[in-house]
Amino acid sequence: MSTNDQSAAATAEERIVRITVNGTAMSGIAEPRLLLHDFLRHELELTGTHAGCEHGVCGACTIRLNGEVVRSCIMFAVQADGASIETVEGMANNGVLHPIQVAFQEEHGLQCGFCTPGMLMATQTLLEENPDPSEDEIREYLSGNICRCTGYVGIVASVKSAAKKLSVIQSNANGKA
Amino acid sequence: MSTTPTESLNTGLNIQTMAEADDVLGRRKYIGMSVLRTEDPVFLTGRGKYTDDVHLPGMLHAAFLRSPYPHAKILSIDKTRALALDGVHAVYTEADFEPILGHFVTTVHREEVLTVDRPIMDSTVARYVGQPIAVVLADSRYLAEDGVDLIDIQWEPLEPVMDAEKALEPDSTLVREDLGTNNFAHIEFQRGDTEGLFEGAAHVFSKRFHHGRFMAAPLEPRGVIADWDVASDELVVWSSTQIPHLIRTFTAGPLGIAESKMRVIADHVGGGFGMKAHVFDEEALIPASSKLSGKPIKWIEDRYENLAASLHSKEMIIYLEAAVDKDGKFLAFKGHYIGVGGAWPAHPWTSLIDTLPAASLLPSIYDIQAVSTQIDAPLTNRCPSGAYRGVGWTPGHVARETFIDDIAREMEIDPAEIRLMNSIPDEPFVSVTGMKYDGGSYSASLRKTLEMIDYEGLRKKQAELLKEGRYLGIGISPYVEPTAWGSEVAKANGFAAEFFDAANVTVEPDGSITVTTGCHNHGQAHYTTLAQVAADTLGVSFESIRVIENDSSQAVYGTGTYASRTAVVAGGAIMRAGKEVREKIIRLAAHAMEVSPEDVDLADGIASVKGVPDKSMTMAELGFMSYYGGSSRVPGVEPALTSTRSYDPPETYSNGTIIAIVEVDVETGFVDLQHIACCEDCGTMLNPMVVDGQMVGAISHGIGGAMYEDLAYADNGQFLSASLMDYLYPSTTEVPHMEISHIETPSVVTEGGIKGMGESGNIAAGAACINAIADALSSFGKIEINKTPIGPSDVMDLIRGLRGAK
Ligand code: FES
Ligand code: FES
Repeated sequence: MSTNDQSAAATAEERIVRITVNGTAMSGIAEPRLLLHDFLRHELELTGTHAGCEHGVCGACTIRLNGEVVRSCIMFAVQADGASIETVEGMANNGVLHPIQVAFQEEHGLQCGFCTPGMLMATQTLLEENPDPSEDEIREYLSGNICRCTGYVGIVASVKSAAKKLSVIQSNANGKA
Repeated sequence: MSTTPTESLNTGLNIQTMAEADDVLGRRKYIGMSVLRTEDPVFLTGRGKYTDDVHLPGMLHAAFLRSPYPHAKILSIDKTRALALDGVHAVYTEADFEPILGHFVTTVHREEVLTVDRPIMDSTVARYVGQPIAVVLADSRYLAEDGVDLIDIQWEPLEPVMDAEKALEPDSTLVREDLGTNNFAHIEFQRGDTEGLFEGAAHVFSKRFHHGRFMAAPLEPRGVIADWDVASDELVVWSSTQIPHLIRTFTAGPLGIAESKMRVIADHVGGGFGMKAHVFDEEALIPASSKLSGKPIKWIEDRYENLAASLHSKEMIIYLEAAVDKDGKFLAFKGHYIGVGGAWPAHPWTSLIDTLPAASLLPSIYDIQAVSTQIDAPLTNRCPSGAYRGVGWTPGHVARETFIDDIAREMEIDPAEIRLMNSIPDEPFVSVTGMKYDGGSYSASLRKTLEMIDYEGLRKKQAELLKEGRYLGIGISPYVEPTAWGSEVAKANGFAAEFFDAANVTVEPDGSITVTTGCHNHGQAHYTTLAQVAADTLGVSFESIRVIENDSSQAVYGTGTYASRTAVVAGGAIMRAGKEVREKIIRLAAHAMEVSPEDVDLADGIASVKGVPDKSMTMAELGFMSYYGGSSRVPGVEPALTSTRSYDPPETYSNGTIIAIVEVDVETGFVDLQHIACCEDCGTMLNPMVVDGQMVGAISHGIGGAMYEDLAYADNGQFLSASLMDYLYPSTTEVPHMEISHIETPSVVTEGGIKGMGESGNIAAGAACINAIADALSSFGKIEINKTPIGPSDVMDLIRGLRGAK
C-alpha cells in the first residue's frame, strides 16, 4: 500500500513522526491510520523493507525497533514516534557487506530477494540473543519469516555460517583487547 | 529388493546431434561451477527495485472494487458518494473503458477448444469472488480504498456453479451464457490397443483422485504502474511479471498502441512461479486508467487480492485405470482429467495448461504399451485457473504415483521394486504418448535415492518402530519433467503453438560484453548462470560479461521465463550467438596479428597466437579496434562484434526421484516430515548451487500442496482462504532438511546438453509426502489416499476409517 504523494503540511488529523533510522534522525508526516511499513517505504523512501501480507504473518516487513524484531505492517507510524529503528539499509557499511549478508550470498540464502531484508533483520537479532544456535533453534526462531523461493535450506545454512563468521570476529576482537 | 551400484550410469558421452555450439563444453571454465550470484548484493542491501519501489511524480493510486459474490448480476453502480470524497479523482467501470479498451480473446488453437471473448472489466456480471468490477483512482491507496467503500452497487445474486462434475451435466446453470456450455474443452487421446490390453489383463485397478487447489502465492504480490504520456503517445508499464515482452504483445492490441511505442519494465520481481507468466486484467486496466486520467497510475495487489483474485492452479478430479499383468508389469493406463476451472480461462494459457500436460505425461517413466486419456475443462464460479510451477504435471503425477503405491500394496510388491520393474531404460526413449525423452537416469536416479536413505535399513527400522507403536512412512516418487518449452515440447503437451527465444551478444568498445535475452530473471540467477555460459562460449572472463533482461526496451524480444526454459533456450541462443562473435573476434585478432584464424586461440579474454605466447591481444584492444580501428579492421567484413541468434530447442526432459520420510502421530494426526532425499538429473548443470536452490525451493512448494495449502470455497461459492491465517505457507518448521544429489546425463539433442529444471520439486515432492503418509498408516489396513492436501484431520479420518473397517 502506498501513501499520499501530496505530502502537504500536517492537517489536524496528521502528525509529524520523528524517528531515528539506522542512526539518522528522520521525520515525516503520517495520518493516524498510516502503517509503519508504509511510512518507512513511502514517506521516508526506505524501500528495503517489504510488505508481503500486511497482516502480520509473512515477516517480509520485519524491522528492529529499539533493538527488538517487530513487524512494521501491524504497527502505526505514530506509535513509533521517538523510537530508534534499524532496517536493512543500515546493515552494510558503505558498500561493505555485513558478515550476515556475506553468509547469505555464500550459502545461497536468497533467490528473488523479497523476503531477504526481513530475514536479515531476524537473523541479526537471533544471533545477538543466541550466538551459536542449533539447527532446531534457527528453524524455530525464523518460523515467522516466510520465504517462498529457497525452501529454507540455504537460509538455515546462511545463519549457521553467519554465526561462525561473527564468532570469529568476536574472538579476534577479544584477542586484541 | 536390491539396489545396484550407480557405476553403470549413463555418463553423458553423448553426441549432441542437433547442437551447433558443440565445442563450448570442451573449453568450459565456468559452466558447472557454483559461481556465487552476482545478483545478491543488491537484494542484501535493500536496493532492489520491485514494482512498489517505483515512484513517479503526480502518480495516483488505484484500488479495485471486487465482487463479494461468486455469481451475481449487477443492476446498478452509483459512483456519486465515492467521487465526492476529497482525494478521489476518478471511478471507472466497464462503460468508461469500453471506448478505449478492447477485449481479451482466449483460446488454445485446437478444434476441441472453445473461445472466450470478454471485456477486460466486466461490470455487469460477477462470476467469482474477487472479480474486478470498478477501479478508484485517488491520491493515496488509503483514500482509493475509502472510495471503493463508497461506491453503491445493487447486486442480484445468482446460483453459483461450484461442483465441477455437475457443471458438465447438460442442465447445469451456466457460468457464461454466451458459451452455451460450461465445458471449455473436451479432448480425447488414444495410442495403442488400450481396450484389448484391459480385457486380457490379469489385474485391473482404478482410482478417483481429487487434487487440491493451490497457487504460486509469490511473496511479492502482483503490481502494475502505467505512465501513458498522452503528448508523445508512449506508454511505459512497470509490472511484476515474468513475461515483459508478452505483456506488451498481448495488451498493446486491446490498448490500441503500437508495440514499438510501449515499454514494459519488470526490474525486480519477488517470485513468480508461473503465476506471473500470465497476462492479467489489471495489466491492461491500469494502462487504460492512465490513458483515461492522463496521470501515472500505481496499483499494488494486497494479499487478499492475490489469494482470491490472481490465479489459482492445479485443482483436478482424476479418474485413473491401470491394466497390470500377473507379475505387476503395467500394460496400459487410462486417465480422465477434469480440470476445475474458474470463471474464464486464464489469459493466454487457459486452464488447459493443467489438464493437457497432466494427460500427456500419464506414462511418465513407465514402459506401457497403450494409453487413452480424456480431458474436460469445466468453468466454475471460482478464480481463473492457470499455470503454476509444474503445471498439470503435478496433479497428474500425484494421482499416478499414489495409484501405483495402491497397486503395489494390493499386489504385495515393494513400491520401489514395482517402479524399477516398469521403468523405461536409461536411454533416449519415445513414450507411448509420443514424448521424446532425450536420455536420462530414469531408474538409476531411483536406485541412487534409495541408496541415499539406506532403503533396506530404513525398512527394518520401520518394522522395529512399529513394534513400539510408532508409525514411520517412506514415500517414493520418481519423475520426468518436460522442460524448455520450445515448439516441440509445447506440441508434445498438446499446445499447437510455436516458440523461440533470442539472445544478443555484443562486444563493447572497451572489450566488455553485453548479453541480452528476452527471458526474465526473478530469482533464478540468470545474470550469473547465463554469464557463465557466455564467458565459456566466447573464451573471456566471467567478470567481463553483463547480462540484461527484464525490460522490453533493453533486451531482445523473447517470451519470458516459465516452464524451466531459460537455461536451455537462452543458454542455447547465447551459445549460438556467442560462437559467431567468438569467430569474429578471432578473425579480427588474426588479421591484426597477421596470422591465420586457425592459429589464434581465445581464452580468458586474451587472443594469442598458438605457440607464440608473447604475441597476443586483449579484449580491450580488440573491442576498441572493432569500433575505431579503421584500416586495421578486417577488410570487407562488418566491423561490429555482435550477433543475435534465436533458438527453438527440441524436446528435452529432466528426471529424478524424490523420497520423503515421515512419522505419523496416530493420536493427533500430526505428520512429522522428517527428511527429503532427492537425486536429480538435468543434464549439463550450469551452476550446481543454483540447481540445488531450485530443487529445494520447488520441493517446499510440493510439501505445501500436499499437506498445507488449500484454496477452499464453501458450497455457496464463498472464498474461505482469504488470508495467510487460512492459506498456510510452509515455514522453516514444516520444511525439513533436504539432501540433494545429482546424476548428469547431458541431453542428446540440446545445445550444451542442457536440460531445463526448476519445477520437478513441485511435481514430485507432493506424491512422495502422500505416499509416505499412506505407507505409515498401511499397517492399519487397506489404505488409499485420494485427495490433497492431507492435514491432521484428514489423517485422523483415514485412521478412523481403517479402524472401523476392521
Ligand atoms: S507484511 Fe508484515 S508480516 Fe507480512
Ligand atoms: S528469496 Fe524469494 S521469498 Fe525468499
